[in-house]
Amino acid sequence: MDTVIQSLLNGALMGCVYALITLGLSLIFGVMNVVNFAHGDFVMLAMYFTFFIGSMWGVDAVFTPAVTFPLLFLVGVVAYYLIIDGTLRQKYVTQIAVTVGLMTFLRALTQLMWKAQPRALPYSLIQGSIHIAGYNIMLSRLISAGVSILAIGGVSLFLSRTWPGRAIRAASDDLDAASLMGVNYRWTYALAFGLGSALTAIAGGLLMTFQQVDPTMGVRFGLLSWCVLALAGLGSIPGLLISGVIVGAAEALSMSLWDPRARSLIVYLIFILVLWVRPRGLFGRK
Amino acid sequence: MSMSSEPILQVSNLTKRFGNLVAVNNVSLQIPAGEIVGLIGPNGAGKTTFFNTITGLYTPDEGRVVFKGQDITGMPPHKICKLGMSRTFQVTKAFTEMTVEETVRVGAYNRHGEDDVMEKVDEVISFCGLEEIRHQKCGDLGLASLRRVELARAMATEPDLLLLDEAGAGLTAAELAELMEILRKLNREQSVTLCVVEHVMQMVMGLCERIFVLDAGELIAEGTPEEISNNPRVIEAYLGERAIR
Repeated sequence: MDTVIQSLLNGALMGCVYALITLGLSLIFGVMNVVNFAHGDFVMLAMYFTFFIGSMWGVDAVFTPAVTFPLLFLVGVVAYYLIIDGTLRQKYVTQIAVTVGLMTFLRALTQLMWKAQPRALPYSLIQGSIHIAGYNIMLSRLISAGVSILAIGGVSLFLSRTWPGRAIRAASDDLDAASLMGVNYRWTYALAFGLGSALTAIAGGLLMTFQQVDPTMGVRFGLLSWCVLALAGLGSIPGLLISGVIVGAAEALSMSLWDPRARSLIVYLIFILVLWVRPRGLFGRK
Repeated sequence: MSMSSEPILQVSNLTKRFGNLVAVNNVSLQIPAGEIVGLIGPNGAGKTTFFNTITGLYTPDEGRVVFKGQDITGMPPHKICKLGMSRTFQVTKAFTEMTVEETVRVGAYNRHGEDDVMEKVDEVISFCGLEEIRHQKCGDLGLASLRRVELARAMATEPDLLLLDEAGAGLTAAELAELMEILRKLNREQSVTLCVVEHVMQMVMGLCERIFVLDAGELIAEGTPEEISNNPRVIEAYLGERAIR
């Protein structure tokens, strides 16, 4: 029983980071209807940037988003204008081919620059753990979950309270109507893609406080975030958080009770089940 | 509102094709500034396609659109909106996840920054009589309210030319009378030029100084409401079709 609760706790905390990653994906998919298979590789890229800055300047991973956030935003905007913009009116197949291409490119690029072996930073400031009622909670995971929730709240406020946020929501609701009310769709899309990518910088910084990175991680995070998004459905930010926690907990449980290698199996089982039983997700609006 | 005023919109030889279908065929017309004009025609005559082509949603295959002296052919919709043209939609396209106030606010951002946007929003909401529902979600509204929200959102962009695509469809007589009153007031007090696409003849005849008739993508007549209702070609193409039903 203790093992179950312990791994549920760990998984739930990790799930908050998954939710943050998925929020970026959800912005890109929900607003622009672009199926972005490269999203997980932006997470991987963010982790390498974190590693690079952390090891070069000796900065703790938790502080790196100050640099990596604008950097990933820029990468996202450039990627949008260079390759995504041209595929918007094309078939889904074209978009998938293009984003899978981007995914492969990012992976090859990181392999070239940082080789294939896993990289990690020295211990973060937020190491150690606290003990509550006999359970052991890693401080790095607890803080990661907290920062993720804060970041999700921040994005939520940005979308609901600011002019660019409203433009993004209007364009996501009805693109034609929004453009005829003066909303520049390319600008809005670039912003959504940039912001969606920049959020991986926060996640990447947090993940690097307790994980290592290697070039193959992108696929795992990419599919994981698609699974969380499918479970949550489009349109509900709290739903995203809950779904992230569910997926994180399920993953942790399968690892501790069954086999560490079963984590992906369970995640994809959830993915398939949701698409089969409830395609609009648990909290989706349609 | 004189007939001799400068045209705010000049459309020349506009053609839009979809495959073999010529939805808008070589249409030329001028909308004088300050007037209320109507665009009528049977179903499938190309009225909505015509609107979509002049507002930048579609790129015309041939022809030119000049708005306030500037060639806007092929310009993206948001730029056309900035220049002062806005519209409502036949099938309402209100932002379902937003409240009425927020929806109008999106329109008002066209000419206002965060500091004075709410003044515009309040003004438009009161002009269109939306105070009571301003905090409701658009997705929860009925058709009559939605049409008015769309009108408010378009007005909030502060257009010089406002295109209304079947704004009267599905409204009761009372709602229609209210809408016509708002439109007249808008035209008179804020000198907004209006172009209404309409099936509801009562609205077109009661509101418009000049009417254009489209049939199968072609402009077949232009004139005052009396001239149009006595034009044999129009009766055959449009009114006649109704009379038979």
